Amino acid sequence: MTKRGTILIAVVAAIALLAAACGDDGDDTTAPQPPPPATEAPAEPAAPEPPPATEAAAPETTEAAEEAVELSQAGGRLAEVQARGSVRCGVRDALPGFNFLTPDGDHEGFDSDFCRVIAAAVLGDAGAVDFVDLATADRFTALQSGEIDVLVRNTTFTASRDGKEAANFVYTTLYDGQGVVVPAATGITDLEGLADANICVAQGTTTELNLTDVMRSRNIPFNPVTFGESSEARVGYTAGQCEAFTSDKSSLAVFKYEIENGGGDEQFILPETISKEPLGPAVLDGDTEWAQVVQWAVMATIQAWEFGLDSGNITSATGDNPALARFLGEEGFDPGIGLPSDFAVQVVSQVGNYEEIYERHLEPLGLPLHGSVNDLWTHGGLMYVPPYR
Amino acid sequence: MAGVCLAGWWLYGNLVDNLTRTRIPTDFNFLTQPTGFAIPENFGFDPDLPIWRMVLIGVQNTFLAGLVGVLLASIVGLVVGIARLSSNWLVAKLAQVFVEGFRNTPPLVVIVFFSFAVFSFGPLPVFPEALDLKLPGSDSNWLVLSKSRIGIPSLSAERHEGLFWLLVVCGVVAAAGVWVWRSRRHVRTGEPHHRVLWSLGLLVVVALVAFVALGGPYDWSWPARSENGRRLISGFGTSAAYLSLTLALALYTASHIAEVVRASILAVPKGQSEAAGALALSPFQRYRHVILPQGLRIAVPPTINQYLNLVKNTSLGTVVGYADVTNLTRTSIGNANPAPQSIAVLMGVYLVFSLVISLLLNIYNRTVQLQER
Repeated sequence: MTKRGTILIAVVAAIALLAAACGDDGDDTTAPQPPPPATEAPAEPAAPEPPPATEAAAPETTEAAEEAVELSQAGGRLAEVQARGSVRCGVRDALPGFNFLTPDGDHEGFDSDFCRVIAAAVLGDAGAVDFVDLATADRFTALQSGEIDVLVRNTTFTASRDGKEAANFVYTTLYDGQGVVVPAATGITDLEGLADANICVAQGTTTELNLTDVMRSRNIPFNPVTFGESSEARVGYTAGQCEAFTSDKSSLAVFKYEIENGGGDEQFILPETISKEPLGPAVLDGDTEWAQVVQWAVMATIQAWEFGLDSGNITSATGDNPALARFLGEEGFDPGIGLPSDFAVQVVSQVGNYEEIYERHLEPLGLPLHGSVNDLWTHGGLMYVPPYR
Repeated sequence: MAGVCLAGWWLYGNLVDNLTRTRIPTDFNFLTQPTGFAIPENFGFDPDLPIWRMVLIGVQNTFLAGLVGVLLASIVGLVVGIARLSSNWLVAKLAQVFVEGFRNTPPLVVIVFFSFAVFSFGPLPVFPEALDLKLPGSDSNWLVLSKSRIGIPSLSAERHEGLFWLLVVCGVVAAAGVWVWRSRRHVRTGEPHHRVLWSLGLLVVVALVAFVALGGPYDWSWPARSENGRRLISGFGTSAAYLSLTLALALYTASHIAEVVRASILAVPKGQSEAAGALALSPFQRYRHVILPQGLRIAVPPTINQYLNLVKNTSLGTVVGYADVTNLTRTSIGNANPAPQSIAVLMGVYLVFSLVISLLLNIYNRTVQLQER
């Protein structure tokens, strides 16, 4: 008994000692600590210390730029990207239709094309993209730490992500909604039919939260079977771990197409859409200039579509009307966003307009553009961009 | 120490600066926010409960995997370790194949193998069409087998269970008394004490008599599925994720413990074994009374390490979707909760786990070491 007592006391004492030592050292260092920051920012005592350490993960070449433009509203990320000569784009390499690796090792899909759009607009070269493969749970951490410049990863725009995750969502590139797929043979046609069922879902996603919300509000008990990634959840579902799989309807359409064309069982997507899923690129809060650059680069693909410009005709197009001339940058028009005046020409000629990008990647998988919410506003869709003037 | 503290303080300052700059919260208030998502294999969890309750469920799941894993690994490790030294060629070789196979494979691979090869792509049916293995001549199942969930029998409290446990405690006290009596008698008269036999026997007799006299305070709860076949309404259910994780880690760690056991036995001087043989002790008696008491003493410190590793490796359950504390924390981070604080909480949880295990086993180690002469 006494032996145990002494050991416990010894352990507690050791921890206390350690804590005290650290505390003392911490106190001691409060005095010597200020000088290093002070030498770097002598004029502004109120300014937060320049933190080169968090950027240590970024390449050495950018460190100078990073320090020079610390905290300023303008010139932060944009100057860094220009100095580096490439855009770091956070993607996921296992999302067919959105971004996946071809046998040649190229990135192909809707999301990766929008990475190229940004690179073409900023650097004039659609190939100047460094793709960074991110797990679902790590994507915002990568954005917050500055590891990536922009996140184009099938990511839903929500208030919490805008706020607590410090993400700044720009133009929504795809209006989607969540659905549920079941094997057609089960005969399940609504969510009530899924009472007590195992439902495969990717963890840490809005998908998981929406599923919980909708099932609770309708008093349907269910058992989530969570996987780190949507791709793993799919494997779980096809292997029979779950009776249903939930994801965005665009992904489900791709999934159904792949299973049925791969000789698998017929799949049924429940008609209900249980959430709004606006998917679009996101940048880190606090750099308005970079956010605007990404925003206008993306919107140029839709403006070009509205003008009837595509990768085939934009280089030969001439500004018949003033709006078109401005868009093509013929007069050297510069709205002061920070993009070169011919950025729209670069984007569309190298990557294509929105319609081309969509039809290239999503139409073959059974997702028609025309007549959907993603159609141009003049055709009753939601794609409507502000005038470029 | 000063340098370490200084570096830590500087890193911490940096972190807070950068989080403040992007206006990401730096406090721990998120722990009282609603969780928002449902937890696998936990129909009772209300997503409105705060995040700290979710963390507790994760801790509980980690504990379940760690505890069962440690027990299984110890038993299998001890048996395999002794088997490796067996003079029977086949037994020794089988044990060697087991050890080399598991010890030279990363634990993650073993877990994924169990999950995919045994459950996901194995021959078992999906849960709504699970195999119900009936007891002979009865309608109850003794086992429900499926890809995603396994149902086993459990005990359900029926009547007077409080009184039953009270009597069992009395039995323990009586058994302790018998233990002391046998020990003293052994010292006084030199007759064999057999105190384990006497004490355990008394305890078992008391428990049995109490059980029968109280009309069976506990009864079997046989596993059965609900009408729609999707939920286990009685018995005890474990998920494929839990079984994959626990079995994989138990066998993986057992292969390491087996090597520790083998090395410890070999560390007992050969003369001890020969002397025991000269006293005409049987092989079992030789192990039980001469070799293991000395060998296992040597094995304790490295085994503590293996236990710590096993508990920390339960975090790999994330890959098979087991709702351990790491998995749930990662989900919560994905749902707009701050990563640095969440990871800090997670590290704290594992630190406490490891310190408690070390503390308990070090106390045990102290007691066995004291018997050295």
